[in-house]
Amino acid sequence: MIKFSNVSLIYPNSTKTVLEDLNLTIAEGELVLVIGPTGSGKSSLLRLINGLVPHHTGGILAGDVSVDGVSTQLSKPGGMAHLIGIVGQNPANGFVADTVEEELAFGMEVLNLPNEVMRKRVEEILDLLSLAALRNRSIATLSGGEQQRVAIGAALVTHPKVLVLDEPTSALDPIAAEEVLSILYRLVHDLGLTVVIAEHKLERVIQFADRIVYINGDGAANVGTPEEILMNSPIAPPIVHLARALGMKEIGVTVREMRRMTTDIRGIKASEPVAALPRPSEAVISFEKLTVSYDNQTALNSVSATIFAGEIVAVMARNGAGKSSLLKTLAGVNRPNNGTVSLLGHEPFTLHGKKRRESIGFIPQEPSDLLYGQSVKIECEQADRDNDLVEGTTHDVLQQLVPGISLSTHPRDLSEGQRLGLALSVVLSSNPAILILDEPTRGLDYEAKSELTRMLIKFASTFGKAVLLATHDVELVAELASRVIFIADGDIVADGSTLDVLLSSPAFAPQVAKVMAPQPWLSVKDVVAAIEGAQ
Amino acid sequence: MNKPSLHPFTWWLWAFGLAIAIVRFDSTWFTVSCVGAVMVIVYSFRDDAPWAKSFDWTLKLSLWILALRTFIGITIGVPIPGTEIFRLPIVPLPSWMPGIRIGGGVTLERLSSALSEGLLICSIIAIFGAAASLTSPHRLLRVLPVYIYEFAVAVVIATSVLPQLVTSVKRIRMAQRLRGQDTRGFTSWKRVAIPLLEESLARSLDLAAAMDSRGYGVSKKRSRYRPISWHLKDSLVVISAFGLVVIS
Repeated sequence: MIKFSNVSLIYPNSTKTVLEDLNLTIAEGELVLVIGPTGSGKSSLLRLINGLVPHHTGGILAGDVSVDGVSTQLSKPGGMAHLIGIVGQNPANGFVADTVEEELAFGMEVLNLPNEVMRKRVEEILDLLSLAALRNRSIATLSGGEQQRVAIGAALVTHPKVLVLDEPTSALDPIAAEEVLSILYRLVHDLGLTVVIAEHKLERVIQFADRIVYINGDGAANVGTPEEILMNSPIAPPIVHLARALGMKEIGVTVREMRRMTTDIRGIKASEPVAALPRPSEAVISFEKLTVSYDNQTALNSVSATIFAGEIVAVMARNGAGKSSLLKTLAGVNRPNNGTVSLLGHEPFTLHGKKRRESIGFIPQEPSDLLYGQSVKIECEQADRDNDLVEGTTHDVLQQLVPGISLSTHPRDLSEGQRLGLALSVVLSSNPAILILDEPTRGLDYEAKSELTRMLIKFASTFGKAVLLATHDVELVAELASRVIFIADGDIVADGSTLDVLLSSPAFAPQVAKVMAPQPWLSVKDVVAAIEGAQ
Repeated sequence: MNKPSLHPFTWWLWAFGLAIAIVRFDSTWFTVSCVGAVMVIVYSFRDDAPWAKSFDWTLKLSLWILALRTFIGITIGVPIPGTEIFRLPIVPLPSWMPGIRIGGGVTLERLSSALSEGLLICSIIAIFGAAASLTSPHRLLRVLPVYIYEFAVAVVIATSVLPQLVTSVKRIRMAQRLRGQDTRGFTSWKRVAIPLLEESLARSLDLAAAMDSRGYGVSKKRSRYRPISWHLKDSLVVISAFGLVVIS
């Protein structure tokens, strides 16, 4: 269905080849997963399929890409719209209509399909993606998962033979992600649709993939079955790391396979679970009976909790359940409608300037919002000046967090992980009492994520500071957090140690826990420690 | 309240009509009352869509322009005789710049002519801001004929950038404030402008790529899922504006 023959790609003003001599044939009805470190060219590979690269982006393409016999050299992206549906990394940026129904119809309108056909297909897609209840809603008011489903629906409505998705689950909570992926799985099996997905969170998609394309970033690409590729790949889901840590000869890529292979390990008599650390005495931030509402809608409903120094607290919730409202209120963006927030005796909303920097470090969902310098150097110097530090302090922090960033680089040219690192070091240079992060792992690969984990643990344990983060990434929470607050519908429904909260709900359980249930192990580290303890 | 849904061209045509009428009347009272009427209309008709806020921003922008235009108008230029209000010191200029004077007497006539000229520019900006905030850019795209494809893409991107700018500015200012930066004053704008430009460029490129991939502009014909038709009420709105042009 899709054929890459001897494809090489290089972008103008760049010395790095993105792809070199790639040969790949994807058969009809295959689900292919594209993986690789950030910036390695996953998106470029996806956009080669319908000719957005090079027609839209520029770049020199050698070799040929063809879909169903149509070559992208001869046909522009628009000319392949009936063959290929493409869903971008950020579907919200690509919407052209106001309401769900109009958005679905748009693709058919431009292909000049008759009205009766459009009516029928819109209904079909509304049912297929369970969007019927949302048909007249304004797209801007939908949650992330709903928007993602609309974008997929809009791509499917023209009955394409190929569906291309760039990180379809990166902004979604585990349940919404599961929904989207199971729909794709059904389409592949029921309709023989060919699907190509790029995704960082392998643990979510790996069980659906028929084959994997692994892109190195230096032009080389490996193609093979998930087992072949993941056996030796540095990018691997926790389940594969588990297999490696246990020294297994074969790896399983699904929870079911792994459970079959690890029956004997699950059977060991585990030593007593390590007693939870005694709670440090000093409270950093506490909120009581906090109520926040917008336009008569309650986002938070009288919630209370206290966060102590040295803790790493993860706030988890479904998309749109009040996570961001809690974070913003604690960071002092909003004044709560009711209740009190006390940050070391101050109300966060009233803090300004230097005092604020020393109390709260906040990393928004888009870390680049914080950056405005023309180079990394200017950014670091500004942070030094703001905090009356010796020149170079911020840069030293940056060097520790993400080594090897050139000072003259423009922040925009950094990778997602590097940019997060820069924003973090700018924020950390003022040595805040609490660090608040909103969805820090969007678009980060495993390496950048483990780097972030290391940095945050060090910040919390060595300096005795508190960290509060909102995230959908259960694997990150399992590795990082000491405590989880779970919010649903504006209420705190669970607040306890990571172990208790994650194990109590199967949807939010990390992969290792699913494999090792009923043993209370969340990460590879826990399993290894338990086995060593038992010997 | 159930807001009447008008054809996407209606408010734009209406804005054109008003702009022409304002220029032809060239009367301060007419201009001021027009802007007042536009404000009433915008505040009662707009919904809570993201682009609805763009009117407030064009109003702010036009106040800036008015202030700047008036300042330049009374300090630079040829003197207009009349009742003098106050006197500014005259800046000496080299002899090769004859006929230009900076400073000098500010007369009531000079002030009022500077004000009314500035007001004209500002009212036109505000009126088109009103059209942008009352019309969904997406609906506008749907009614534009396909044969002006390139133009249509440009228009949609242009009209959707303004409201997106508004939401992005809010988000970035919040982030900057949380970094402990002052978000008031002129210098703070530099800090907002850079991430802002970057983001709007990326958004616009995304939108263009998405439209391209979905085949926009390939077929010269285009079918309509739910045709947007022109109603009597649309005609009435447009006639109200062009009626003013006729009597001017």
